[in-house]
Amino acid sequence: MFAQRRNLKELADEDLMVLVRDGDPRAFEVLFDRHGGPAFSLAYRMCGSRARAEDIVQEALVSLWRAGGRYDQSRGSVRAWILSTVHNRAIDSFRREAARPTRPLDEGALTERLAAPELTDVEAERRIDADRVRGVLRELPDDQRQVIELSYYGGFTHLQIAEMLSLPAGTVKGRMRLGLGKMRIALGEAGVLP
Amino acid sequence: MTDREPMSGTTDCGGDAAAYVLGALEPEEADAFRVHLQDCAVCRDEVEALGGVVQALPLAAHQYAPPRGLKRRVIGEVRREQATTGRSVARTRPRRRGPRQLLAGGAATLVAAAGAVTAIIELSGGAAATVFQAQVVGISGSAQLRVTSGHAELVVRHLTPPGRGHEYEVWLQHGKAAPVPASVLFGVNSAGDADVGLPKPVGHRLSAVMVTQEPLGGSPHPTHDPVIVARLHGIS
Repeated sequence: MFAQRRNLKELADEDLMVLVRDGDPRAFEVLFDRHGGPAFSLAYRMCGSRARAEDIVQEALVSLWRAGGRYDQSRGSVRAWILSTVHNRAIDSFRREAARPTRPLDEGALTERLAAPELTDVEAERRIDADRVRGVLRELPDDQRQVIELSYYGGFTHLQIAEMLSLPAGTVKGRMRLGLGKMRIALGEAGVLP
Repeated sequence: MTDREPMSGTTDCGGDAAAYVLGALEPEEADAFRVHLQDCAVCRDEVEALGGVVQALPLAAHQYAPPRGLKRRVIGEVRREQATTGRSVARTRPRRRGPRQLLAGGAATLVAAAGAVTAIIELSGGAAATVFQAQVVGISGSAQLRVTSGHAELVVRHLTPPGRGHEYEVWLQHGKAAPVPASVLFGVNSAGDADVGLPKPVGHRLSAVMVTQEPLGGSPHPTHDPVIVARLHGIS
């Protein structure tokens, strides 16, 4: 049993997905161990509530278990698939309940931050990438960062953002384009993106 | 990009790509942009380049370990589903078919979609309730059918709300006959929950209860594939 679990942990995500498609919950558990943290972190960043973030992640991951046979490797990594599903599920919940976080997150509210000693080499590398992405986003001009954060983390459309900020819709789109363009260059230079 | 493809489909070409990859276009705009993408290599390139940035954005969130109970909840639900279906849920899911095909093969659809289910006997308030786990297909949420002294109640949790102008309709299948309306329409609250009582006592020939999404007011026949299927056995 333990040997089997160890072997599963040695498999790549894509190989685990083959087992998930065949209905192996142990393979899914390994995927949770790898990606549950980023999935929860994204949901928490978007909704600002630990309980709600847990619900979103649970809904998203169970739906992925059911849809395991539909994973298409050619359309991106398993990690991207999981995170985009969590993202979409959070947006759905915003639109269903017309509720979004109304104040900045209290990042100290969660006590279970990922402790550095728990990190594997792969996870440590991902943390470095995460720091780089956070840094690149932080260095954008405020007006460009704001529209990107409102749309991606808040789930607002460009028209909603334009109304919120009293800006022409074209200006909002322009800022999104400028901001993402700068991030593309910076993340490429930092080695996060090819 | 190929040599024969146009550089641009519109004068403001590329202006929507960033909003598109961020999911910030209105639905109609996104549909139009998808059509535009088929003919515009410039926008396809921009979508591909900026899409990579959007895939990296989750990393910008501060990283936390998942709460201790979350893994237990997720894996617990996965194991329960695995135990009730006995194999991959994805393999038991019916293919999408047109309404006419659904009507012709309604009974077969029910049997195929339901797979194996487990009946659990619970004691509630002194009465024995038989609980049938239902399969939820193509939408999120969970559902179970609780039968107490011949009276059935469909209990749904965290169910995706029906689309605009639609509501859920309950159908009954007796033996292998075509499903008939249960004369029950329902929606869900903001949490996606609903407790839906069936009006008549269930008979021993009832083999399945299913739910489809139908236009407001319901339909005389199911016009969509079922989103919930509870297969019954052992009702007496």
